[in-house]
Amino acid sequence: MILAVADAGPIIHLDEIDALALLSVVDELLIPQTVYQELEAGMVPPALETIEYELVESDTTGLGVELDPGETAALAVASERAAVLLTDDLAARDAANDHDVEVHGSIGILVLASTRGELEKSAAAELMRALQTETSLFVTDAVVEHGISLLDES
Amino acid sequence: MATDLTERVQEIAEARGIPESEILEQALERGVEDLWVDLVLSRYIDDDIDRETAINLVGRDRVKRAEQEVQVVEDDVRWGLNA
Repeated sequence: MILAVADAGPIIHLDEIDALALLSVVDELLIPQTVYQELEAGMVPPALETIEYELVESDTTGLGVELDPGETAALAVASERAAVLLTDDLAARDAANDHDVEVHGSIGILVLASTRGELEKSAAAELMRALQTETSLFVTDAVVEHGISLLDES
Repeated sequence: MATDLTERVQEIAEARGIPESEILEQALERGVEDLWVDLVLSRYIDDDIDRETAINLVGRDRVKRAEQEVQVVEDDVRWGLNA
């Protein structure tokens, strides 16, 4: 049973490679209101309405992190509900580790989708490459290929 | 894409007041530099070169950043395979 809370990063990045529906590979998805408002400031991806999620309030009091409001809200919810934080931001990942919150990102979602039979391994590999070439995800080309080789070896 | 590139080259050349050929030369240099960094980091990640060699070729910051990225990607792949 995977309970996960997403900040805007994986929602935007997965949407950019037409793979937002794969977020439903987690068993229960939470999206903080603050994150949803951030998405609304641009445009909420239409594909988000094809997956099930729960909009939740967050209490960031005393969290003591220097992150964007959406990332802070997502970390607060993940910490409060013992959920997995889904973020593609390296600083948010560090903050999650500091708060003993399990944290993963878009690449983890693609691999999980492959493991759970939603994607062929080869399709997951192609989407990992697309994350690198078509989105603002942090990874360099060499690192993506390293991740794909780990997936291939499994 | 080709149209985008042409228009961007024209706009940059106009904004900077230098010939389009010079913009293209700079773009080629930057592109080759990026590809070179990718190659070096790929060789380091694949253990074809050691850390000090990679640092000498592309700088400590890039190597440290790549190490952080590798850790994150390995962690995500492991989770995806086992969750």
